[in-house]
Amino acid sequence: MTNNRQRQTQTRPSGFANPWLQLALSVACVLLSEFLLKRGATEVANTDSAWSWTGVNGLASPLVWWAILLIIASFISWLYVLRYIPITIAFPLSRVVDILVPLGCWIFLGELISPLRWCGIALVVIGLALVAKPIAQIEERL
Amino acid sequence: MSFLAFFFIVVSLVSFVAAQLILKRAMQASRRTGFRNAQFAWKIAGGVVLMTISFFLTLGLLQRFDLSYLYPFQGLSVIFITLTAAVVLKERVNLRLAIGALLISVGIVLVSLS
Repeated sequence: MTNNRQRQTQTRPSGFANPWLQLALSVACVLLSEFLLKRGATEVANTDSAWSWTGVNGLASPLVWWAILLIIASFISWLYVLRYIPITIAFPLSRVVDILVPLGCWIFLGELISPLRWCGIALVVIGLALVAKPIAQIEERL
Repeated sequence: MSFLAFFFIVVSLVSFVAAQLILKRAMQASRRTGFRNAQFAWKIAGGVVLMTISFFLTLGLLQRFDLSYLYPFQGLSVIFITLTAAVVLKERVNLRLAIGALLISVGIVLVSLS
């Protein structure tokens, strides 16, 4: 199984077709779409309607449509990633987006990050390092 | 949180995890059989339908709750996908990977709670 995983990584294409680059692109699209979805959904919120649980009324917002375009782009990149990288590695790595949101708010918007949030960010970073290390070692040997 | 909200959060999470596993299977198979294959098309279609269900349920939930409130539940998907991929897809999960996935999940929950 380990050999299978190494073979999967070793036969990966390079350049723009590099699955690691595609993973980064997928994360970037998801990051932007999260902000657009929240703004769009809040913009047209009508919680009185029974149908609003389905989220369909969110389609009235142009921001939601932009978010959908980004989600489609990230989805295509993600399918490509799944072709080459085991999901047990690719999916945890893709969750780097969960710390990029608060870090982005801190760096670009000057928002404060509480000690508890810093602890959470630290745990995610350690977790990402643990997941990514075996792959880094395989890449080094190439 | 009402029972209805909890129900939709669980359905959204389960459909998201199931979609990821089906899509992984489809893309894995495409390396052997290519894309012009009925099984590949059905799996991709199934994955897209499940992702769409999860997407609209999340959109509905976002109209009622803050993103920071819903995020802890999304954080759990890391654990669920790692475990189910090990069982269903027979992907190898060593101790390092399991601890890494657990730390990422706990970290996401802490970031959301703070």
